[in-house]
Amino acid sequence: MVIIKRKELSFIEKLYLPQIFQALSHSFRAMFQPRITRQYPEEPLPTNEVTRGQPRLTLLEDGEHLACVSCGLCEAACPAYAITIDGHETERFIEREPERFEIDMLRCILCGFCEEACPKDAIFMSDELELADFSRAALVYDIDKLKRPREELQGRIDYFYQVNDRWRTPSSTS
Amino acid sequence: MTTQLFEYAPSSPDSLASTERDDPVHGELMKLNMGPQHPATHGVLQLKIDLDGETMHNIDPVVGFLHRGKEKTCESLGWAKFFPHTDRLDYVQPLMNNIGYALTLEQLAQLEVPERGQIIRVLLMEISRIAAHLIYLGTTAIDLGAVSIFFGTFKERERIYSILDAYTGHRMNNSYVRIGGVFADVDDQVEGMMREFLNSIPASIDGWEGMLTGNRIWYDRNRNVGTITKEQALAWALTGPNLRGAGVALDLRKSQPYSGYEDYDFDIPVGTVGDCYDRYLVRIEEMRQSVLIALQALERLRTTRGGEFLAEDRRYVLPPKDKVHSSMEELIFQFKIVTDLRLPRGEAYHPIESSKGELGFFCVSDGTSSPVRCHIRAPGLYNVQAIPAIAEGRLFSDMVAIIGSLDFVMGEVDR
Ligand code: SF4
Ligand code: SF4
Repeated sequence: MVIIKRKELSFIEKLYLPQIFQALSHSFRAMFQPRITRQYPEEPLPTNEVTRGQPRLTLLEDGEHLACVSCGLCEAACPAYAITIDGHETERFIEREPERFEIDMLRCILCGFCEEACPKDAIFMSDELELADFSRAALVYDIDKLKRPREELQGRIDYFYQVNDRWRTPSSTS
Repeated sequence: MTTQLFEYAPSSPDSLASTERDDPVHGELMKLNMGPQHPATHGVLQLKIDLDGETMHNIDPVVGFLHRGKEKTCESLGWAKFFPHTDRLDYVQPLMNNIGYALTLEQLAQLEVPERGQIIRVLLMEISRIAAHLIYLGTTAIDLGAVSIFFGTFKERERIYSILDAYTGHRMNNSYVRIGGVFADVDDQVEGMMREFLNSIPASIDGWEGMLTGNRIWYDRNRNVGTITKEQALAWALTGPNLRGAGVALDLRKSQPYSGYEDYDFDIPVGTVGDCYDRYLVRIEEMRQSVLIALQALERLRTTRGGEFLAEDRRYVLPPKDKVHSSMEELIFQFKIVTDLRLPRGEAYHPIESSKGELGFFCVSDGTSSPVRCHIRAPGLYNVQAIPAIAEGRLFSDMVAIIGSLDFVMGEVDR
């Protein structure tokens, strides 16, 4: 515990004049310091693989089918109830695929819980952040708007796995 | 339409001096609503004040404009899904709230956080504390007329946000804490950014202190304004810098250490008078102490490199992804934890020392996947409660200083 000292004003400080000049010099110095504000739409913040932007669905290597098996885990993990999935049977090896996969971007809070929950590497956070449209309905993204080739999300996927690698020391047992 | 003419009759000096002319409201008090959209109330707080000239009486704070039902949300959402909601309680220090909630759940689950996880948490808490105190300093200073300080503090706070952006991927609302630890390790780049920030911030703090502490205006507007005595502070259940400013050396980091705070070397600053000036000095000193703690935590991070930062427990913590892909058992755990995370029956309360005071989550579990009751002890609410007692009989212009120095965030007060 330290008792903080209360300052008593000296005669000079009571005059308030030195403070005026101190503040003025502060302001003048600030004029020559590098600018820290940003002209936002022209100069967006840099994004990288750590950025948690809007979630996107990955496509398989064939570039046609989603990696998703419509297990519903992301839907269960989403704290904002943003995800809606309807699955159906498919002839493909994975047996089930989503018929409808919608993320309501107006509800999504970009928390990344869906990415963490997905057991099939089918949903990842992209670095896309901007969101604007003329109607609410247009901001409920369906599969067509959500799907991305795996290469586009590769940076994030690698980062996510790197986090996972560091997650446990090799000696730990499960 | 006929125009009515009034004759100008100069009043005699006698009638001018009569009480009626002097006091057009006949001794009635004027009702004044301050807020809820007033910029100096720091959010949506409404104050109903009876004004007698410039003197305030019967102050009535009205809270609840930002009520979003967080406690009930927790009871319907379930344990793990509530983390993003804790971000939005005291939104200037999201990680602190995350950690407070996680500690309660860990107490309920009897889960031990690995050492490195605890160190990272301490680091994040102290960084959050600095960010929250920077907001306090900036907003209070701009309310009292010192605009440059505001830009200075927000410039530094921007650097904290860049660090958190590099670490969590978000600038605000991070939700990066999990039951049993934190989501990701602090890597070299983030560590370097933190070190650089922590080494440069004391100079900035000195600069602001140099501009404010001996400044006549700051001095006159804070000194002996909003005085809380020790007894009053304890009676109103104030905690944090407001209580310490009144001279009670109570800090949960010292009195009930958690996350390994007992191993860190730091002092708790205590005031003597309990006015706005003392609370300001306490917060300034607290920022310096936070820097010291954070630097110690960085040192410890170096020695525990490669250690675990998330507990290994298949009841509450998601298994690593690569194992989920390869093992049926882990896949079942993944499903089980995401869809139906259950905590043991019982109740837990874990208070932490947030930047505003004692922040505690009280959770009652009946063994199912969501709490029966979740109560949030938000320090801000207690700070707001004390306003009438502190401001009674003071001048109206002191209200701005009092609100600023009590330092509450309405997201947390109204939850
Ligand atoms: S990022 Fe969070 S809120 Fe958005 S869809 Fe995923 S789980 Fe839901
Ligand atoms: S968790 Fe993954 S596989 Fe399951 S429905 Fe969601 S995106 Fe598809």
